[in-house]
Amino acid sequence: MEYNKVCLMYRNQDCTVDGIRSALGLAVENMYAYGCVMDEPKMEKFDELQAESLEMLRDMEGDVFATTKENCELNDLEPLTIEELGEKLRDMTHIIPYGIIKA
Amino acid sequence: MSKSLGIFVTNPDQFKHVMGITKAAKAKGSSVKVFFSWDATHNAKKEAGFPELCKIADDVSICVDSYKNMGYDIDDVPEGLEANKMATQAQHGIIIEDYDCYLSL
Amino acid sequence: MKILNVYRSAPDDTTKKLVEIVGRDRDVESFDLAVDAPDYDALVDKIFTADQTICWW
Repeated sequence: MEYNKVCLMYRNQDCTVDGIRSALGLAVENMYAYGCVMDEPKMEKFDELQAESLEMLRDMEGDVFATTKENCELNDLEPLTIEELGEKLRDMTHIIPYGIIKA
Repeated sequence: MSKSLGIFVTNPDQFKHVMGITKAAKAKGSSVKVFFSWDATHNAKKEAGFPELCKIADDVSICVDSYKNMGYDIDDVPEGLEANKMATQAQHGIIIEDYDCYLSL
Repeated sequence: MKILNVYRSAPDDTTKKLVEIVGRDRDVESFDLAVDAPDYDALVDKIFTADQTICWW
């Protein structure tokens, strides 16, 4: 059986936490689910529940990446450049630019 | 037989496209499922065309957690929507797993 | 593999970069949604013939 591989990308602080929840929802449905916080926004520190969601996602072989060092350090996210993200997207069955770009 | 189409909506400003694409797909005999999450759940209360979308599409649902987070009472079921379509992110999973074509808006 | 890129707004440099990498050595089509009256009929035809549709911001 081929499993779906899904990557959601976030470019708005307001969407990030829900977008990660959305990735977790797909991981629960037996998909490989990833999220990537791109360039901006600067994230807020995860609360306990959000940090737990990230751990659950990782337990299900998913992950959340970020393209800035600040966001990676703040919330223990894996660093990824835009070029690396692009290469990763090539392997996805579903690519989801999530929500809106912050004006 | 036309392909089926699942639409995942996370941007609240895309409703006219949701309607336009749903109508065009239905005209081709497609089965269409639409799921609204996060900010886009505002569409269920603020877009006059939402009840019509519920009639045209084969399946419309919204994320109840998102709806609550946007400040709505979960007992206030949007016009046109069945109460059991106030649902979870599993609806997104169904779109990905069970529908031929996928679109996010 | 046939990729359909749908644009909700004019793509910025980041989106352009991702589009370029994802579409490398693949059959790529595009559709602009950021117009006054998109041809939804044509868009649905494109979605049905693509292997993957990506709707960029």
